[in-house]
Amino acid sequence: MATNNIYGLFGKSPISPLQQHMSHAHSCIGELNGFMIAIHAQDWDEAEKIRSTIATKEGEADVLKKKLRLSLPSTFMMPFSRRDLLDLLLIQDSIANTAKDVSGLMINRKMTLPDEIFEDIIELTEVCIKTSAMALKAINELDELLETAFGTREQKVVNHIISRINDLESESDKIQHKIRAKLFPLEASLPPVDVMFYYRAVEWLGELADSAQRVGSRLEVLLAK
Amino acid sequence: MEIIANYGDILLILAVVFGLFMAWGVGANDVANAMGTSVGSGAITIKQAIIIAVIFEFAGAILAGGEVTATIRKGILDASIFTDSPHLLVYGMLASLLAAGMWLMIASSLGWPVSTTHSIVGAIVGFGAVGVGVDAVAWGKVGTIAMSWIVSPLLAGTLAFMLFRSLQDLIIDTKEPFKNAQKYVPFYMFLVGFVISLVTIFKGLKHVGLEFDTLTSYMLAIGFGVLVMTVGTILIRRIKIDPSENEDFHFTSMERIFSVLMVITAAAMAFAHGSNDVANAIGPLAAIYGVIESGGLIGAKSSLPVWVLLVGGGGIVFGLVTYGHKVIATIGTGITQLTPSRGFAATLAAAATVVIASGTGLPVSTTQVLVGAVLGVGLARGLAALDTRVINKIFLSWIVTLPAGALMSIIFFFMLKGMFGA
Repeated sequence: MATNNIYGLFGKSPISPLQQHMSHAHSCIGELNGFMIAIHAQDWDEAEKIRSTIATKEGEADVLKKKLRLSLPSTFMMPFSRRDLLDLLLIQDSIANTAKDVSGLMINRKMTLPDEIFEDIIELTEVCIKTSAMALKAINELDELLETAFGTREQKVVNHIISRINDLESESDKIQHKIRAKLFPLEASLPPVDVMFYYRAVEWLGELADSAQRVGSRLEVLLAK
Repeated sequence: MEIIANYGDILLILAVVFGLFMAWGVGANDVANAMGTSVGSGAITIKQAIIIAVIFEFAGAILAGGEVTATIRKGILDASIFTDSPHLLVYGMLASLLAAGMWLMIASSLGWPVSTTHSIVGAIVGFGAVGVGVDAVAWGKVGTIAMSWIVSPLLAGTLAFMLFRSLQDLIIDTKEPFKNAQKYVPFYMFLVGFVISLVTIFKGLKHVGLEFDTLTSYMLAIGFGVLVMTVGTILIRRIKIDPSENEDFHFTSMERIFSVLMVITAAAMAFAHGSNDVANAIGPLAAIYGVIESGGLIGAKSSLPVWVLLVGGGGIVFGLVTYGHKVIATIGTGITQLTPSRGFAATLAAAATVVIASGTGLPVSTTQVLVGAVLGVGLARGLAALDTRVINKIFLSWIVTLPAGALMSIIFFFMLKGMFGA
């Protein structure tokens, strides 16, 4: 007796796959700290190892992304809009992508960071990691949000996390600003093409924090329904 | 009349066999749907579900199954038409049982959505309108039944929505969900016991020869509610909060309290299901028995014999034990996103709706009522993903099952007429 109406009524919840995806995306960005240190020490073997770890994780995140997309037919009734959920997934995915791009770029160009900005780069990376960790924390609250049917009390908890994300993101902006300010006087003494790519790397790191922040703000939209 | 006198015994034996077959089908397939939300929420094990189902399906069938049985037996058709030809009613009811039973087998083996209730009602209306005459059908009553098929899932959905919102406001979305659960869950337990017993006492028990006045009925229902509440409270007191289990998911301890509530609600659901669906099998049997017993007199004021209810209840339990437990296991492991709090809201709403329908004598589809209730929780943002294609399936089962049951029962009706004589 194959068809049971009750059985057919329940679809697979997208929440835990979404959380898994975010935790993969976050683990990509989490590798960047060790990567920067390896780059600075010009330990290319180690850096390459980390880069390939990031690439693998990014690939896994991609697989999760595709799987989740395919398991969300438009007939699903969910406590949030399907569109918002898919957007959120895309933003999460861009964290993994950007982390992969940054590491790829720096390895390919055998980019050595000037000592003057190295510590700031490390600081920026750390803030990016923290921002994304905070975004992961927010995404992990989705179980609790569902349990309380997106109740006001639990929404407050999440809004608090989101405001922490926003704080961290603006901190990352400040650090980027500081790095650029230090980089400018050095421009004349460095190979121009290198300088161009230093700016590019800083910009991409900033994008990581931006994406993490967008995860938070998209989650906010998703909650409001 | 002489057909009844000559073939009365064999016709009655056939009716019992077909009736048992239908009851078996209900137990094998429908019970699993009724228990689905309880097992799926993880609150009770599959074994517990089967034990609860065996006891309470049976109790529901015996104690509260009378009113719907009466509808199937003599509400859908206009009895006065058969005064001169009571054997036609016997043929028709036999044909209906056979048609509904076969249709259920065919449809479920093909994986089509079916409802026992719709099959039997379609079959009875079919043989009545085509085999006997359009006037033979009490269209007013049929209209009411059809309306109840639309209203019952909607009502269950609304009830589930409100119940679930009240859970959120009082217990889940609060500062101390565990404490509030301990405080308020006993009240919900009272509600379960009160609603189920009130409807049963008012409407069901008269078929087993018990009647009470209004005040006594209320007192009994309140007493039963308090009893359920007391037992439940003792069980709840035993549950202790365990901080380690709440680290990953903050509501684990609280949900364990709802698990206790879910056991009680699962029993209520099994009771409600038994009270409504047993009629699909034994309503026609009761009609046949009534005709044969009175020697061909239609409308003789014969009460529903308890052995007929026993055939129904026993058949359901038999179906459950021989086959239904497998379906329960499949459903129970397949539904993963229900937590006991949601399972409770949906199941109680469905059980209350079905029991009210049973009390009113309306045959409804328990599965569809439950679908309505679950969607109600979904609308309250309580569930992560519900596949609304099920709604299409429900409409499909209305459109397909009614004519299919009708067509088959018309064919069987004329076959029986040919075999036993007009």
